[in-house]
Amino acid sequence: MLSKELVAASSVPLVLSVLTEGENYGYALIQRVRELSGGRIEWTEGMLYPVLHWMEKEKMIESEWREAETGRKRKYYRLRKEGRKALQQEKQQWMTVHETLARLWKQQPRLT
Amino acid sequence: METTAPFDLNTALQLWLEHFGQSSEVKAEDLTELESHIRDSVNQLQGKGLTSEESFLIATHRVGTPAKLEPEFAKINRSPLNTIVHGIILVFFSISCWFLWGITHIPQMMAGASVRQGRSLPQFSQFVMESGAWLVVPPVLAAIYCVCVWTQKSRRQNSWAGFFATTMAVLILLALPIVVGAMLPMVDFINHFQ
Repeated sequence: MLSKELVAASSVPLVLSVLTEGENYGYALIQRVRELSGGRIEWTEGMLYPVLHWMEKEKMIESEWREAETGRKRKYYRLRKEGRKALQQEKQQWMTVHETLARLWKQQPRLT
Repeated sequence: METTAPFDLNTALQLWLEHFGQSSEVKAEDLTELESHIRDSVNQLQGKGLTSEESFLIATHRVGTPAKLEPEFAKINRSPLNTIVHGIILVFFSISCWFLWGITHIPQMMAGASVRQGRSLPQFSQFVMESGAWLVVPPVLAAIYCVCVWTQKSRRQNSWAGFFATTMAVLILLALPIVVGAMLPMVDFINHFQ
């Protein structure tokens, strides 16, 4: 399981990345992340919505209320141009961290 | 034998959402979205064989408690009203301090007349006159506090009420000795001419 801090830090790039697959609503976004992470990334589900609303304010994504097949209203989110740019920056930053750690850990002597 | 009422999802959901009702910082639209989320979650869990009640309990647990969610929604939905009210209070507080500084000059005006009559100012009035320059400190501190509030993003509640109460208390504490210090030579002056 990931730490709270890491889950919070990765929420924006995860949402942006899932939305590159196409527009989606909150519950389905969470399900997709759970599926891709094999259940290792567990969000407090309600916390996703303030993040989505913040991303909307920052113009990374946009939303629209539509009627779902069940007849209920659902809010669908989709990526905007600014969101694609933000995702590129996030990718670079996460790759830098990943590569640095991978190099460091490769150099470590085996403990076992 | 005790019988319990059958579980009603709509009622339970309504009760759960009412916990947010007291907060003005969670919009109706946010609640509709959370409701939709819980219903989706309940449907999926029921599909796995859980009862309606079990599904509801798990779904709301996964969403998080209203106490946990409210501050997060508040950060996003906060209106600029809190900041504006802080600014207004700061302006009035500074003007009041400036006005009090003006009052500290009254003994000085009275001093001329008193000296001519061969009497000196009361010591307390002299003290008030000398310490008038320190009146610039409270507005500066209040301004620093306001800058902190305006730049701080993680505030949960509106803090203007506390700021208002503090500035009022400071004004009363400052005004009392200043008014007394200014009144002493005035009373003395009036008594002399009676």
